[in-house]
Amino acid sequence: MSKEEVIIDFRGPISFETMEGLLNELKSAPMFSELRKPVRKRLYGTVCESIDNIYKYAASNLVDSQGTSRAPLLTVKKLDNIFTISVGNLVLNELVDNLRNQLERINQLDNDALRTLYEDVINREAGEATTGAGLGLITMALRTEVDIEYSFEPVDTGYSFFTMKIDINT
Amino acid sequence: MEKLIIESTVNSPRIVLDPEEKKFEFSGESRPENVRNFYLPVLEWLEKFTTNQSGLKERERTSALNCLFNFEYFNSTSAKYILDIFKSLNALHLLGIELEIKWLYEEDDEDMLEVGEEMSRMSKLEFEYVISDA
Repeated sequence: MSKEEVIIDFRGPISFETMEGLLNELKSAPMFSELRKPVRKRLYGTVCESIDNIYKYAASNLVDSQGTSRAPLLTVKKLDNIFTISVGNLVLNELVDNLRNQLERINQLDNDALRTLYEDVINREAGEATTGAGLGLITMALRTEVDIEYSFEPVDTGYSFFTMKIDINT
Repeated sequence: MEKLIIESTVNSPRIVLDPEEKKFEFSGESRPENVRNFYLPVLEWLEKFTTNQSGLKERERTSALNCLFNFEYFNSTSAKYILDIFKSLNALHLLGIELEIKWLYEEDDEDMLEVGEEMSRMSKLEFEYVISDA
């Protein structure tokens, strides 16, 4: 039976410095240097965008109203020929619909339609001082061959816990 | 015009905009903490350069510029600004300045090749795709 390999298992607040640390952890994992270069870059890019996504959308509080820890999480695991990148973080309930709609839309599109959407979004937002909403998710969707799995777990009146899972084939 | 050189860091690329050497170069990784603040001086430099060039008579303008894009990785937010750079280059192209744009990618790195093709199409500039040895 195949054994699952855990490359990153992190839970805690994400700052730009933490991000550097996590990317270094990924780059220094022994299996990383053994990967074919295109797979390595695809994995690296997806982990970057995933952390960026937490960095942009995550609520700043780390516990919910019951005092339960709701710090962001990031795991990178490998089983057989597939890497699975999972992220999770608290989001404001008012952002849930927007994020859900974006993900639903992205999952419905094939690669050609995703490229058209990419082009539309990059031109619309280029140079504007936005947080880049959308483009990161589209980029990730273009790099994975299966749908992005996601869920929103209601936490309290203010927040939900958002999780997202992306597979990368080696 | 004074050249612009930005040295690379672990999360930002090396940028050389040198009109005297007729060389524009971008290399390395691009995911700076504040992407806008990082690319703004580059875009401003290009805008000023374009204004200067448009003020010159056609025969006084710079001849062919070598533009080398050798990115190891850039995140999606950087992609927007890189596209803006190409749009700025297109303004130079429209002034009749010849641009030799080389987009480097590593062998089998279809993602990097594909994004180059998209940038080329969106900016309406012709790229030469070159496999890098890195």
